Amino acid sequence: MSEMWVNMGPQHPMTHGLWNLRVRIEGEVIKDVEPEMGYLHRGIEKISEDRHYNEIITLMDRTCYVAGLAWEQLFIVAAEQALHITPPERAEYIRVLSAEFQRIASHIMWYAAFVQDIGLMTPFLYGMRDRDLILDLFQSYTGGRLTYEYMRVGGVRNDLPLGLTDRCRKVCDWLMDRFVEYDRLCLSSTPFHERCDGLGVLEAPEAIAYGVTGPMLRSAGSRRDLRKDRPYSVYDKLQFDVATATTADVTGRYLVRMEEMRQAVRIIRQCLDWLDDHPGPVMAAQLPRWLGAPYAPVGNEAYLLKRNYPTGVGFSMVEEPHGEAGAYIVNDGGEHPYRVKFRSPVLINIWASKRYLPGYRVADIPPIMGSVDVCVGECDR
Amino acid sequence: MSTITLFSASDAIAAFLLAHIAYVFPAPVKGWITSGDVVLGLASLIFGVILLGASMINTIMLIWWERKLLGRFMDRRGAMHVGFAGLLQNFADGLKLFRKDTFRPSKADSLGFWMSPTAYMVTSVVIFGILPISTGWNGGSLPLTLLLALVIFSFAPLFIFLGAWASNNKYALIGGMRSAAQMIAYEVPILLAVVAVVVLSGSFNLTTIVLEQRNYWFWAPLFLALIVFLTGMLAEMERIPFDLPEAEAELVEGWNTEYGGMLFAFFMLADYVRYLVGSILVVLLFLGGWTLPTYVPSALTSFPLAGIFWFMVKAYLVFGGFVWVRASLPRIRTDQLLRLGWMRMVPLALLSVVLAALVVAAHCLPVLGCVPSMGG
Amino acid sequence: MKTNELAARLTSKFGEGILGVDEFPGLLGRVRFDAAIASKLFHTFRDDLGFAHLTMVGAIDWIDHREVFYTLWSDADRVYVMLSANLPSDAPTIASAVPVWPSANAHEREAWDLVGIRFEGHPDLRRIFMPEGYAYHPLLRSFKIHEPEDLEVKVRSE
Repeated sequence: MSEMWVNMGPQHPMTHGLWNLRVRIEGEVIKDVEPEMGYLHRGIEKISEDRHYNEIITLMDRTCYVAGLAWEQLFIVAAEQALHITPPERAEYIRVLSAEFQRIASHIMWYAAFVQDIGLMTPFLYGMRDRDLILDLFQSYTGGRLTYEYMRVGGVRNDLPLGLTDRCRKVCDWLMDRFVEYDRLCLSSTPFHERCDGLGVLEAPEAIAYGVTGPMLRSAGSRRDLRKDRPYSVYDKLQFDVATATTADVTGRYLVRMEEMRQAVRIIRQCLDWLDDHPGPVMAAQLPRWLGAPYAPVGNEAYLLKRNYPTGVGFSMVEEPHGEAGAYIVNDGGEHPYRVKFRSPVLINIWASKRYLPGYRVADIPPIMGSVDVCVGECDR
Repeated sequence: MSTITLFSASDAIAAFLLAHIAYVFPAPVKGWITSGDVVLGLASLIFGVILLGASMINTIMLIWWERKLLGRFMDRRGAMHVGFAGLLQNFADGLKLFRKDTFRPSKADSLGFWMSPTAYMVTSVVIFGILPISTGWNGGSLPLTLLLALVIFSFAPLFIFLGAWASNNKYALIGGMRSAAQMIAYEVPILLAVVAVVVLSGSFNLTTIVLEQRNYWFWAPLFLALIVFLTGMLAEMERIPFDLPEAEAELVEGWNTEYGGMLFAFFMLADYVRYLVGSILVVLLFLGGWTLPTYVPSALTSFPLAGIFWFMVKAYLVFGGFVWVRASLPRIRTDQLLRLGWMRMVPLALLSVVLAALVVAAHCLPVLGCVPSMGG
Repeated sequence: MKTNELAARLTSKFGEGILGVDEFPGLLGRVRFDAAIASKLFHTFRDDLGFAHLTMVGAIDWIDHREVFYTLWSDADRVYVMLSANLPSDAPTIASAVPVWPSANAHEREAWDLVGIRFEGHPDLRRIFMPEGYAYHPLLRSFKIHEPEDLEVKVRSE
């Protein structure tokens, strides 16, 4: 059969969102790919220029709808740096706790979608079932299951309710058992290895050149993890290992994410112990008054005038579940940031498919792109 | 074998017609009706309609069975709201699909697009006409029912490819080609496994094959053939792990991507008809059909329609096995599928033919209870 | 490596091309450079200074000029550095970093799409989020989102 271009997307089961992978195939062999993004572009960076810092947090939940708290943390770290605010330590621990639970939830979501891509139906339901427990926890202290609006510049909105740490511990125990079950369902199955081993290989030097980060890079043997390399928040006080694999293929990414979930549970348990022992405030004491202000009343020009607040810049890189997310905030002294720039790991990971997809077969696209863990919300922003 | 009864169920209907219906007609018409062939034809027709209805209901119940089983495998409940335990859910779904608009993409080829679901459905359902369900319960007991059933069963790739080609869609085209390649590749091991059964039973007639299993069911000596046949049937039915023609992850819905509403319902129903036929074939060839082992208390086998009951129980259990496979295995790739077919299944099937020949040559297996009579 | 050390090395190599090396919170520093030496500077950072990761390319519209910035990570020093160049608003052009870091491809397409920076030597400088032929670069300050009539998608008729 001669070559033809096939559009996989924007409405396609493989994409897990709205993007288009144009594939040039010859028979079933992939010759070239051309990812096309922008179907979900909401202009979050532009909207951010017109919003208060705390209002941008709402956007962060929408940026990545499976890892909202991780993106909140990303923005908060940069915003606090730009605004010269130091949050109390308890807030930092709660943020890390939330971000790590979010990492597990996101990875479980990835697991569910990924196994669905290679035709395993049962683990999909198992994954959704277990993710729900984490969402229940989130609901009980942030009020939201998908979009949380929980973190604030200077701390977090509210402290954990009574008894939550014990519930978290129970969920952790349950999850650790389930991870064993996940592995049994996948790794002990020969067809799983037939579908995943040696696919989508992207060795570390190439991955670095192409900007690929996160589990994809670590699966190639690189020990790069921003939580270790450039600790933000309180990660330098917590014990955990960087999950790596050596095969640089789909199975490697699976192993890395599974191990990351276990390490996340380890981090969470440390956070829970610390939080039990150290009650205290969760908001910084002295905040500029406008930070807590609600929406600007329309037509109140005086309110929109710039205050004489110190200018600054904030730069943060965060190990988000999908990879390294970055934020660069320019504060020119107003209550709105002058410019917010986000780095989306998924955009770059998808874009690198030009490197790791050609040569494989059409049937390999779902496992390979599934192993990338695509979240189009943060890719397009 | 003398136990083969031709058209016995139809005979009963014919007798009923003659006894209770025919007398209402005036003499000349009555004479024409009772002239043998006509009443037999009418009886066959009525039996066929009953069979069609029963097979359709069973097909829909098969969907329910799969949904409930899958639900349990996945730690959920499956359909449960419409009817008792969701029994009527699929009838509701079917009604919904039938009420939907059927449309054709403007660039699709009209004849092929409309024809292929119908032909796929017809060729799947018509197999029921020749499958024996219980002693005497069959539409037609020809000498070569097994071959005929397999031949009709293998028509499917033609119509799938026709529909895929006609819908003028790249996903459908790729799916159709995969489907054709897969079904043709797995014809060979299936036929070889069937050959093993034929060697052991000495007949191509399904009723004979069942009756030959009165001493021992064929799965015991022909375990290899059973494995090959089950695997091949999974591939022929296009179920996970061999559902690459409709691999929804990369091909959206494969060869039936462009079909919706009623036409999709046809494809889906025909798929389940094929699942049912496949399960029934497994029961007939390897699991003793409607018979039960002799040590089973006679109360279990003597109630009315006991043969049909046990037959359907076995068929549903076999299909439950297929569902179990679906719940636990991922989909494999085309090249792996073909490699598995040609390099594993075909040699295994050949081996099982040899084994069957050895069993026949031994002519008597003391362990199993001696003497399958040769010939048929 | 310290900020002043980096400044000394860069100045000795590029002289006038380096406009300054600032302190930057959390980073090794911000290197302000002349757009003319961009390509050479990229090669120096990757090959001589070991900054193998390009994590971010972005641009800011300062109304009278535009700033394009790159953040790089060095595995050896475990530190980020930011490069920044000012470009005139009427001709915002700079050499592409794609030959040095292939990952710059998508970043630069994004910067072109949203802020309108032209990257010379980019293999495939198309819009990435906005539709092809879209009339605006939405992250410019002149693109107001307050005015509803401006929200309509206007496409150049070319």
